[in-house]
Amino acid sequence: MRITQKSWTDPGLLLATVPLAAIMAFFFLVPLVMTALLSFQGTQYYRLIWTWSSDTWVDVFTHWHYWSIIIRTLTMALICVMLCILISLPVAYAMVHRVRTLENHITILIVFAFLTDAVLKTFGWVLFLDRTGVMNGALDVLGFGAKSTDILFTPTATMLGMVYNLLPYTIFCIYLSMKRIDRDLMLAAYDAGASRLRTFWEVTLPLARPGIFAGGILVFVLALGVFLEPKVMGGGTSPMAAELIRQTFETRVNWPLGAALTLVVITIGTATLAVAGAVAARAMRARPEAAEGTE
Amino acid sequence: MTSHRLEGVIASAILYGSVAAVLIFFYVPIFTLILFSFSESRFLSFPIEGFSIKWYFALFASREFWPALGNSAILAGASTTIATILGTAGAIAWMRWRFRFQRSFQVISFAPLLFPQLLLGVAMLLWFSVLGGWFDFSPALWTAIIGHVVYITPFALIIIAVQVHGFDDTLEDAARDAGATNGQVFREITLPLIWPGVMSAAIFAFLLSWGNFYVTYSLAGTARTLPTFVFSGIAVGSSPVYPALATVTFVPALLLLGLADWFRRRAAKRQLGGWKDA
Repeated sequence: MRITQKSWTDPGLLLATVPLAAIMAFFFLVPLVMTALLSFQGTQYYRLIWTWSSDTWVDVFTHWHYWSIIIRTLTMALICVMLCILISLPVAYAMVHRVRTLENHITILIVFAFLTDAVLKTFGWVLFLDRTGVMNGALDVLGFGAKSTDILFTPTATMLGMVYNLLPYTIFCIYLSMKRIDRDLMLAAYDAGASRLRTFWEVTLPLARPGIFAGGILVFVLALGVFLEPKVMGGGTSPMAAELIRQTFETRVNWPLGAALTLVVITIGTATLAVAGAVAARAMRARPEAAEGTE
Repeated sequence: MTSHRLEGVIASAILYGSVAAVLIFFYVPIFTLILFSFSESRFLSFPIEGFSIKWYFALFASREFWPALGNSAILAGASTTIATILGTAGAIAWMRWRFRFQRSFQVISFAPLLFPQLLLGVAMLLWFSVLGGWFDFSPALWTAIIGHVVYITPFALIIIAVQVHGFDDTLEDAARDAGATNGQVFREITLPLIWPGVMSAAIFAFLLSWGNFYVTYSLAGTARTLPTFVFSGIAVGSSPVYPALATVTFVPALLLLGLADWFRRRAAKRQLGGWKDA
């Protein structure tokens, strides 16, 4: 494919880019700026009043309660990233090297599960994990005794739901980067007498690093905003940042505070992305062959 | 040599086992829902007592189901159409052209994908409330359409960009040599060539929008779609109506995905230069 240099005033180019850029600017960037501005306003009798003050921010930084929820969210997000990567590595490797004939079918099955309504899937998990649900019923039949597990409405259930909903992102990122690795490199390692594990460790893993990295970052950022899992599967007993923000808007009707908390979470997410981008750019400069695969 | 073979056996066991385990994991809630939709009892406990399809009738008789279905269809239809058009234009600009401000264009058209949906919804809700104060409107289905467009366009853009990436421009050159105008080239050559990618992007976008909860929840005002209908329903109390609803929506979704895959295969064929037999 040939790449054409275009003047930025070219009519075709403007037609192709301006509508999209305008929508994103007006309905994505402006709302973010608006959120930042709102965090400096005040409320009185559940109504927003325009006063420029930093009271809300003082409130945010002096209440340990908010930060304990944010720290819990960060911890959950990090654990979720680790679990997603650990689970995705063998799956992605197997999809590239073992089940090649079924690769398409497996992809479709995962995409279908991914695209199914998250509310319904979460509800399905509730029915499965419930004390009188499918899992306990099945365990009872197998002779483990009635109602032997009780993980619904615990942080474990929340984590299960998060991994469930975010796992496709890491699987596909790692799968795509592993697919680009030249098989000859692995065969060369085998010829040189390396074991499978060693080949995986010293050839596949380093070359798949961009995918692992991208998937992990994506999961981390998206995990910061999960709401359904802690609410429906976690039973609301250990709320995470998104639920705190929703409550601030809906129950407390304190928009400036909600805006400030939103901003805190967005800042953490954006900072992570920025650091990750810088690290990735550096790695690419240091080892261009690893970043571009081995084509 | 035996240790090598043993290692191979263990490796295969782990690899095949992990794929099987992950697929089972993905389908646990889905099959649980299908199972409970055929329950006789109104209590969702296992083992199921008796088989019945009465909850499907209860669902179809529900007064809230049909408006929610209609809203979901309008929302997904409108946002998919807009997102696919914007995504196609964006993908061409991303992949085939180099221009000033391209980096900013790429960042701004991709950023919503890297954004937690609920926060995206909340930020947009704040903005719509401010706008609503100025122009006197309140959030409704059309604000949710805008929200969905912002959220799903980056997905559509990526899928189409992959198709544009393998594009062969000799046909375009030939058409231009034969005197076709830019518009004609786009309509007669470019669009048909990237059409499979566009269609699979549209299906993907449709399903993303159809199943979306977070953005709709924030932006749709009092309008209910299927996901928010289920969410508010299970908050009050569970009923086998929701598993029945789930089962009903699985079938068309699976058919659509099969169609998307067919388009994708056709796309792969075209990229391999199989234009003659296509």
